Formats: sequence, C-alpha cells, structure tokens
Amino acid sequence: MAPVQPEQLARIVDFLKTERHDLSLDDVMTLAERMAETLDDTVAHVDTLLHDEFRSIVGEIAALRREIGAFRPGHMRFERIPEAGRELDAVVDATETATNAIMEAAESIMAADATDPDAYKALVDEKMLVIFEACSFQDITGQRIRKVVRTLGWIEERLAKLADALKIADGDHAEEEESEEEKRMRELILHGPQHEGEGVSQDFVDDVFSANDQDDIDALFR
Amino acid sequence: MALDLTMPVLVVDDYKTMIRIIRNLLKQLGFDDVDEASDGTEALGKMKERRYGLVISDWNMEPMTGYELLKHVRADTGLSKTPFIMVTAESKTENVIAAKKAGVNNYIVKPFNAQTLKGKIEAVFSD
Repeated sequence: MAPVQPEQLARIVDFLKTERHDLSLDDVMTLAERMAETLDDTVAHVDTLLHDEFRSIVGEIAALRREIGAFRPGHMRFERIPEAGRELDAVVDATETATNAIMEAAESIMAADATDPDAYKALVDEKMLVIFEACSFQDITGQRIRKVVRTLGWIEERLAKLADALKIADGDHAEEEESEEEKRMRELILHGPQHEGEGVSQDFVDDVFSANDQDDIDALFR
Repeated sequence: MALDLTMPVLVVDDYKTMIRIIRNLLKQLGFDDVDEASDGTEALGKMKERRYGLVISDWNMEPMTGYELLKHVRADTGLSKTPFIMVTAESKTENVIAAKKAGVNNYIVKPFNAQTLKGKIEAVFSD
C-alpha cells in the first residue's frame, strides 16, 4: 500500500488547526472531501474498484456542496424571511387601520342625530365614502400576502432539493423534545382558528350545550 | 336569573378591535355598563374589585388564557356563580367539551353576529 503523501496529511492537519473552531456543515464537508481524496490516492495503488468508489464519493460530496451553496442560507435568513415578516406586519397594520376607520364611521352613524334628515343623509354619505376607501386595503394586503406565499414556495423548493441531495427521509430525525411553547399550547388547548369546514359549527356547539348529560354528548359523536 | 340590562359586563380580549366590536354589539342590545380587560389576569383583578353580571371572554390570550380564567373563576367561591360566555376562534371539539366541563355557560364560535351574541346571552339568563 502506498503511503499517504506528506502534503495530503499536512492539508488535513492544517485544516484541523485553522478551522476546527465552530465547525460548520461546510467545514465538515470539506474535511470529508479531503479525507476521501487522501484515501482515494492511497487505495488507488491497491484496488481499482475501491479507487472508483472513492472517486464516486468525492463526486457526491462535491455535488452536495453545490446544493448547500444553492440553498443560500444567509440570503434566506437575513433577506427572504425578514422581508416576509415585514410584509405580514404591514398586513396586520393595514387591516387594523382599515378596521378602525370602518368602525369609527359606523359608530358616527350610530350616534348621529337623525331628526334632521338632510344633515343625517349627508353624514351617512360622507361616512360611507370613508368605508369604501378603507376597504381598498384588501388589494394591497392581497399583494403582500402573495409575496409571502412566494417566499414560502422558494424555501419549500430549496428544502426539498437539499433533503433529496442529503437523502433525508421523514423518519430520520431524532425525537424532538417538546418546547415550553408547545407544552403551553397542548395543556391550554390552543389550536388557533380552524380552516373553513375543519372546526365545529355553532350548531354543534349549541347541541353540546343543550345536552343534559354525558349520554347526550356521547350521542353527538355516534 | 333574569336578564338585567343595567348589570356591568366584562369583555376580555387581547384584540382592541374585538373588544370594540363586542362593546358596540352590547350597546345595540341595550347594555351600557361595559368594562374591558386584555387577558385573564387583568380580568381576574377587575372581577375581584367589582361584581360583574356577565363575563364574555376570548380563549387564546397571554399570559392567562380565557380557559384558565374560567377555571379560576369557577374555583373562587366569591366569583364561581358569575355567568361566563366564551367567544373564540378555537373551534375544535375538545375545546368545546373542555369549556363545558370547566363550567362555561355558553360558547360562541368566531366569527359571529349580533343575533348569535344576543341569543346566547338570553339563553344564559333563561337557564
């Protein structure tokens, strides 16, 4: 077996000396790549089949590095996700502003003196215009939400490619510990709003509350 | 228990807009004495200072949820008889059953209308 060349060993030692602190996935990939190259040169003298296997491994690692590079984690973390967050904040602000404008208009109409029909009609006309104007928020918030949806699609596409490249299956992850937030949500039964058709209806709730005993409630689930 | 339009009502919700909507609906129904709190902790403090004839509470709030508030109210001998209506977007069966078991008087699923609110308040006071 041919000995490992001194310059190859020196490359690994140099890597470990200079880059071993806070090793990133990319560092590990580099190390694996160099080790594979080193072993490849060594076994090339022994077995052609093994040599080909190592060439293949080096190729796989290089391809993986390209996929990780395409993932652009910095771009996702510092640009795409914060931008999506800003869009959603703007949606919340716009809907709140519009709702307040509509409610103020409605409250003005409710509180108005209707004894003078002309003055009352003028007030109602004016407040109706305010309501129409406020409703224009829907166009802009729709555009903002579509941008967020595009960002989610962008992330989903890259995660899928990365998972394929790493050959990660759903069952590969370690059991995750329940976070404090998840524990609170489970214990306090916090699910948030349901989609149309997913939650129970008011009629169902009314049936539960008109039930006299557990047997009546049980009957609702048969 | 008779429905008394002069009784003080406490509306508990972390969204000012929802409090404003419920306050306006209650006003339309004839209730003028309406207080508000932004979560269960604040509501509990107000309930210990003033006797409310009705509490209308959201479920999902921080730090104390409406569900926790309900359990605190039912466990407090001085407050346990206070009529309590949950108004919430939590619309899973387990939420409805848990609220009923905890002693809520009625349960309204958001979004709701004035007629539903009126009907549930009347139902609570006709029991």
